[in-house]
Amino acid sequence: MKLLFFILIFYFQSINALEYKKLQTSKGIKFWFVQDKSIPIVSVSFSFGGGSSLDSKEKNGISNLMTSMMDEGTTNLTSNELKNLMKENGMKLNFSSQRDRINGNFQTISSQILKSFELFSEVLNHPKFDEKDINKIKRQIISSIKIDESDISTLASNKFNQFFFDQHNFSENTKGSIKSLNNINREDLIKFHKKVFQKQNLIIGVAGNVNEKNIKEFIDLVFGDLNNYDEILKIKKFETLAKGERIHKIKTPQTSVLFGHPGLARNNENFFALRIANYILGGGGFQSRLYKNIREKKGLVYSVYSYLLSFESDGVIVGGFQTRNKSVYETVESVKNEWKKIQKKGITKTELENAKAYYNGSFTRNFTSTLSIARLLQIVQYYKLGDNYFQEREKIINSLSLEKVNQVVSNLFDGKKLFFMIVGEPEEK
Amino acid sequence: MKKVGFFLTLVFFCFESESKKIFNAKSHKFDNGLRLIVVENPRAPIVAQMIWYNFGSNIEERGKSGLAHFMEHLMFKGSKKFPENYFSNFLSKIGGSENAFTSYDYTAYYQTFPSNHIEKMIELEADRMKNLTLTKKNVETEKKVILEERFQRVESDPSSQLDESMRSILFPNNYYGRPIIGWKHEIENLTYNDVMDFYKKFYSPDNAILVLSGDVKFSNAKKLVRKYYENITKTKKKKIVDLSDPDLKTSTNVELKHQNVKQQIWKRIHRAKSYNQSISQSIALDLGMKILAGGTSSILYDEFVNKQKIFSMIGGFYQGLAKGDGYIYFYAIPNKEMSQNEISRLLDEQIEKAINEKISKKKLELEKKKYYYDSIYGMDGILKPAEIIGEALTIGLKLRDIEDWNKKLEKIDLEMVKKELKEFSDNNNFVTGSLKN
Repeated sequence: MKLLFFILIFYFQSINALEYKKLQTSKGIKFWFVQDKSIPIVSVSFSFGGGSSLDSKEKNGISNLMTSMMDEGTTNLTSNELKNLMKENGMKLNFSSQRDRINGNFQTISSQILKSFELFSEVLNHPKFDEKDINKIKRQIISSIKIDESDISTLASNKFNQFFFDQHNFSENTKGSIKSLNNINREDLIKFHKKVFQKQNLIIGVAGNVNEKNIKEFIDLVFGDLNNYDEILKIKKFETLAKGERIHKIKTPQTSVLFGHPGLARNNENFFALRIANYILGGGGFQSRLYKNIREKKGLVYSVYSYLLSFESDGVIVGGFQTRNKSVYETVESVKNEWKKIQKKGITKTELENAKAYYNGSFTRNFTSTLSIARLLQIVQYYKLGDNYFQEREKIINSLSLEKVNQVVSNLFDGKKLFFMIVGEPEEK
Repeated sequence: MKKVGFFLTLVFFCFESESKKIFNAKSHKFDNGLRLIVVENPRAPIVAQMIWYNFGSNIEERGKSGLAHFMEHLMFKGSKKFPENYFSNFLSKIGGSENAFTSYDYTAYYQTFPSNHIEKMIELEADRMKNLTLTKKNVETEKKVILEERFQRVESDPSSQLDESMRSILFPNNYYGRPIIGWKHEIENLTYNDVMDFYKKFYSPDNAILVLSGDVKFSNAKKLVRKYYENITKTKKKKIVDLSDPDLKTSTNVELKHQNVKQQIWKRIHRAKSYNQSISQSIALDLGMKILAGGTSSILYDEFVNKQKIFSMIGGFYQGLAKGDGYIYFYAIPNKEMSQNEISRLLDEQIEKAINEKISKKKLELEKKKYYYDSIYGMDGILKPAEIIGEALTIGLKLRDIEDWNKKLEKIDLEMVKKELKEFSDNNNFVTGSLKN
C-alpha cells in the first residue's frame, strides 16, 4: 500500500461544499459526477422512480420479485455464469425495491471497468427471467415472509404499515403474499421491467477513478437504450393515515411498538425545520429526548427512536421501541408526553444550536467513500434539492430561527394524530 | 433474504501483488503499555478513532456473565471532568457518530468526526479509561436497559435462543459457550461493586490499542496521545486463565419448538481452528468455506437450491478471529419440513463430494481473486482499516502478520483447502439444531 493512492482529491470551497460536475451523454442521459483518483474503484448509484408502490393488488410483491431476479442470469448467461463473471471482475451490483423507487448500486475495480460495465448493461437490459429461477426466488421470498411472521419487530413493522397507511397502497407488504406471488408470471415480470426501467425515471450519481469521456460512454452503454415513456410515476398523498392505537396479539415476553404521525415531503420548504425538530425529539441518537427520558432515565427500553420518512409528494414521522409486556402502556404514555411537550413548548435555543451544529458537521462524513459520494449525488437529484445544494445546505440550516422551527413544530405536531401499532402481549393499563 | 448476512472477514489490500505492506500502518508503544496504531488517509477531513480493549466476556468470573458488556454501556455515563452526557453531546455537536461493541475476546469503542477536533476526542477517550464517576442509580437504571436488550435480542427471538443453546453445548468449558450479553439470572444479580471492581481491574492502558484512521498524521497523533495518556498508570496485571474445550464424544441434536415459528430453520455449528493458531490454515479454511457455502454461487447452494430444490436457501461461513477456537456455521431453510438427521446426512454427503470432486483449482483461483478485490473495497472508507487492524491485534496477531497477509494468501493451494475442510468435517465437535413449530 503506497501513500500515492491517497492524494487529496476534494477541493472544498467551504468545508461542506462538494465539487461535482453535471454531465450529459450523447444519448441524452444526465448525471452528476465526482472524479476521485485516490482509490481504484468506480461507484454508481442509480434509481428508477416508482418502486413497489406500482405493484397492483393482485400482483403485489412484483417489484421486489423483479429486483431479486436481476442477478439470476441474462439472455446470454445463466445465473451461475453471471455470478462467476461478476466475481472474476470484482464487480458488485445490487438492486433493492423501495416504496417509491428502485435503488441500485454498481461498483467495480478500475482495471476491470470495461468488462464490468458491459456486464452491467447486459444485466439491466436483458435479464433472463427464467421460469426455474422465478420459482426458486419465489420460494425464497415465501420462506422469508414466514420467517418475518415469527420476528416481532418485522411483524410489527408490517402490521404498522397495514393499518397506519390504511387506504393507501403503502399498507401492502412490499414482499407480497403467497397468493399474490403465485399470480405473477414471467410475462408480468418482463412487462414490469420495461415499465419501470425507463429513462424519465432515472437518476444517476457517479464517483470514482474514471475520466469524463469514458464514464459518459459507459453510462450510455448501460442506460442509453432504455425506453422513454411519457407516463411519470407519482405516489399518492397520504390522505387517510390512521390515529389511536391497535393491538395485534402474539405470544412473546416483550412487545414491539411502532408509532406514526403525519410529516412533510422531502422538498417541502419546512423540511429542514422538521428534520431539526425530529433530531431533538427522537432522531439524534444518544442526544434525543425520547432516548434520554425513556432509556437513560427510566430504563424502559434498549432502543427508542423516531425518523422522518419523506417522499417527493408527502411524508410521515415514524418511531418505535420494544419493551417488556408490563411496561408497554407506561412507555406509550411517555411518547405521548414528549409529543405534547414539543407541540406546546417547542424546542429550546440550546437544542436548536446543538442540532444545527450536528447537521453542519456531519455532512462531510458522506465524503469518505466513493459509494457514499455517489449515493449523495443521486439523492440530491432525486429529491430535486437543487444544483447548488452543497453550497446552500449550510445556509438553509443556519438561517433557521427558533421562532421558525417552533412555528413549524406547533403547526405539525398533534398528539391526537399519533397512531400506535402494538404487537405482543401488553398488560392492561 | 437473497442477500445472505454479511459477516466480518479479514480482507486485505494488495494493489500490486508483490510484497508491499498492506496498510502501511504506523505503530508506537508507550511506557504505560498503550499501543497506538495510525493509518494515514487524508482523503476527506474525517478521522475514525477506535479504542480496542483486549478483553471481553472472556475475563468474567463464573456467575458474573454479562459484566463486560454491562461495563461497555456504563462507559458512556460521564466523568468528573466531563460529566454525564458531555462526551456524546460534544461529539454530536461536531457532527460525529459513535458506538461500541463487546465480544468474547475484545471490547471496542469508536467515533468518526471532523479531523479538526482530534485533540478533544483523544482527550475524551483517554479520560473515560480511568475517571468514570458512576452512581448506584446509574448502574441500576442501566441494568434495566440491558435486560430489555437481552429480551429484544434473545428472549423474544427463538432463533437466538437456539444459537445460545447450541453454543453452550459446543463450548462446554470455554467462555465461548456463555452469551456475551449474559444469562438473564446473572445479569439481574450484577451489582455496583461488581462493575467498579471490573472497571478498576481491567480498564488500563496496557490492555488497550488505540487506532486512528483517516486525516491524521502519525507524528501529531503520537504527540496528542502521549499528552492525554501518559499520566494514566497501568493496573497490576491479572492472570487470565486460558480455557479450552474437551472433544465432544456424543452427537447432539437440539430442537426448539415455538408456536410463533412458521418456517423451519436448520443450523449446525462446528468448532474450528482460529487465525491465532495458524494464519495460513485459517485462510485456506476460509477460502474453502466460501467455495463450499458462501453466497448464491456456492457448491451447496447450487446442489440443493438450484438442482435438487430441497432448500430455499443454504449457506455457511467461517469465523476464525478468536483468541481460542473459531467456529464454522451452516444453516438451511427446507422447502418442506425435514428431520435433522436427514438434512445432516445430505449435507455431509455433499461436503464429501465437494472435497473429492467439486472443489477445483478454477474455483479456488476465482475465490482468491474475489478476496483480493474485496481488500481494495475495504480501503474505500476509513473505519474498515481501523476495524481490521484492531480486531486482528486484540486477538493476538502481529502487525507484521497483517501487513504480510497477501504473501500467505498467494501460497494457498487446492490441497491445503481440501485438507482444512476435511479436518473439521471429519471430527465430532459440532452441534446440530432445528427451529420449528
